[in-house]
Amino acid sequence: MTLLDVDNINGYYGESHIIQDVSMSVDDGEITALLGRNGAGKTSTLRCISGATPPDVRSGTIQFDETDITNDPPEDIAVRGISLVPEERRVFTDLTVAENLHLADTVRNKSNTWRRKLDFRDEGMSTEEIYEYFPRLDERRSQKAGTLSGGEQQMLAIARALHQSTDLLMLDEPYEGLAPQIIESVENAIERISEDGTTILLVEQNAVAAMKIADRCYVLDRGQVVFEGPAEELQNDQETRDKYLGV
Amino acid sequence: MSDEPRNATATAATDADAEVTGGFADRWASFRDREISTVLLTVVGVAVFPFLFNNFLDGYTQLATLMLIYGIFAVGFDILLGYTGLLSFGHAVFFGGAAYAAGIFSASVSSSPLLVLFAGTAFAVLMAWIVGFLSLRRGGIYFAILTLTFGQMSFYLAASPLAFLTNGENGFTSVDIGHLLGVIDIHGGVPFPLTMLVDNMLYVFVAVVTVLSVAMANRILHSPYGTVFRAIRENERRAEFVGLDVWRYKLMAFIISAAFAGIAGSLFTIEGNYVPLQSLYWTESGRIVIMTVLGGVGSLFGPLFGAGLYLYIENIVSGFETLGPFWHLILGIVFVVAVILFPNGIWGGVEYGQDRTMAAIRFTRENGIKAALRYALDLTVQKVKAVIQKIRSVPARLFGGEGK
Repeated sequence: MTLLDVDNINGYYGESHIIQDVSMSVDDGEITALLGRNGAGKTSTLRCISGATPPDVRSGTIQFDETDITNDPPEDIAVRGISLVPEERRVFTDLTVAENLHLADTVRNKSNTWRRKLDFRDEGMSTEEIYEYFPRLDERRSQKAGTLSGGEQQMLAIARALHQSTDLLMLDEPYEGLAPQIIESVENAIERISEDGTTILLVEQNAVAAMKIADRCYVLDRGQVVFEGPAEELQNDQETRDKYLGV
Repeated sequence: MSDEPRNATATAATDADAEVTGGFADRWASFRDREISTVLLTVVGVAVFPFLFNNFLDGYTQLATLMLIYGIFAVGFDILLGYTGLLSFGHAVFFGGAAYAAGIFSASVSSSPLLVLFAGTAFAVLMAWIVGFLSLRRGGIYFAILTLTFGQMSFYLAASPLAFLTNGENGFTSVDIGHLLGVIDIHGGVPFPLTMLVDNMLYVFVAVVTVLSVAMANRILHSPYGTVFRAIRENERRAEFVGLDVWRYKLMAFIISAAFAGIAGSLFTIEGNYVPLQSLYWTESGRIVIMTVLGGVGSLFGPLFGAGLYLYIENIVSGFETLGPFWHLILGIVFVVAVILFPNGIWGGVEYGQDRTMAAIRFTRENGIKAALRYALDLTVQKVKAVIQKIRSVPARLFGGEGK
């Protein structure tokens, strides 16, 4: 079943046409990877889905669980069960681990926005489950997030997103700037989350690492989809890999 | 608010407590972190303040009262500047606006101090809703300019178009403050046990409101709201991405800080029985920025000290024989020195000293007094060396030579 369906969207930053007729679908329970070089439009596509502006989506539709969410504000999209782990240093370094997690409670809370009419459709993982999942965070509850290592910060960012909702988790470059053995532990965590039933959309420049765990892959180049298919197909498609991914 | 975050906070707090293994330093730390202890400290502080101030610092009770009033203003302002990261240059609208609203209310509706306080604060909240709604559309410097503009607009409005209400440049003089709860003369003396600490009822009234305000600010900052404010200060974009309705929280921070300004403004009217037009002028907005930064942005108590120090220099130091006429200059120097030495203000300096002392106590307990002294000596030598190094590098930096 298709959980997220992006249909022919066109996104603009001012006058520049940054996302051109991108279509993709994310199936329930799978790990879908969105690959491409720097500047290919991966993060912009994620921003379109999560409702952040810019870019503005001027045509096309984005459907989540058969509901049209195109151009909804981010706080409404979060309510529907899409949670995002943004790129770079993804946590609030001034807040403690526990406070970072509490932000998800605040987002889930009805009073987060005056406009919202809906309730969160998804339970999200409880704090206790989260700490069971990530024992490292449990040990560091009252520590400031800024004092955590890069890998731990990434775990915290993922934990926060899961606390918010477990329907669709969108990860923007989760491996960026991490040491190889830490990448492995983040990988394991992602696979475990996927096995427990959360659908994952993974955006990555590190194509080799992403292909390892993905079920389906999309490759973007200059705002257009140039490849779509199962991960194995991309593994064997040396031409696409050379041309668009450089691996 | 839902119960969930609060329970989680409770768990986190218990965990923090569990880590505490005893010892004075740790016990002090855990006492300090509890909310009730913050309130108790404030109570003790405002209770002994006028006694110390009057006897040792050349002060007088009326100035002590004014310090608390501006302290409330600054505590609220810090919720906006220090915790949410928004610099408003128009908070005089809420302070002065509330002062006028309170004055006019007292003259024409009711003279009950509590109702006057409520009316002024309500007016400030209403104004903040409008001003915030319009100026929070822009960030950074544009926000500061927009708030400044609204501040000046309200000043000129009060100066002439609304002079029939505000009495224009002469200020509002018909303030009429009655007895508190119908029985207590707010401008009168205090009953026996209190006379040991303070000599007038007005101070007691303002002190009680101060304690309540600090408790309220503390509650807000420890609630999920406070966490969101700090998240926004750190990175607005990221907060939005995470799914927080950033604009709404910014508006709330603005309104909350204006409410504190409103409490202060109303108390100002009750205290002085008069509302000067000056209270709406942009310098009033500037004053509160200086007080807050001087005291320490991003701390609860800092702004109280900042307000106190500012008013002390303005009122007491300005009376000194030789230095007096230069009080503006002195204030400037104090400000510059404080900001350079302690970027987190006076309170930041106090906390730094406190942390150092605690660390020293802990180190001494673990390693014995001898090791601690040796360590302290080493550290001092290092520091002195670093300073000498710095001084020696000055000519090189000034003249671009290689004199290292």
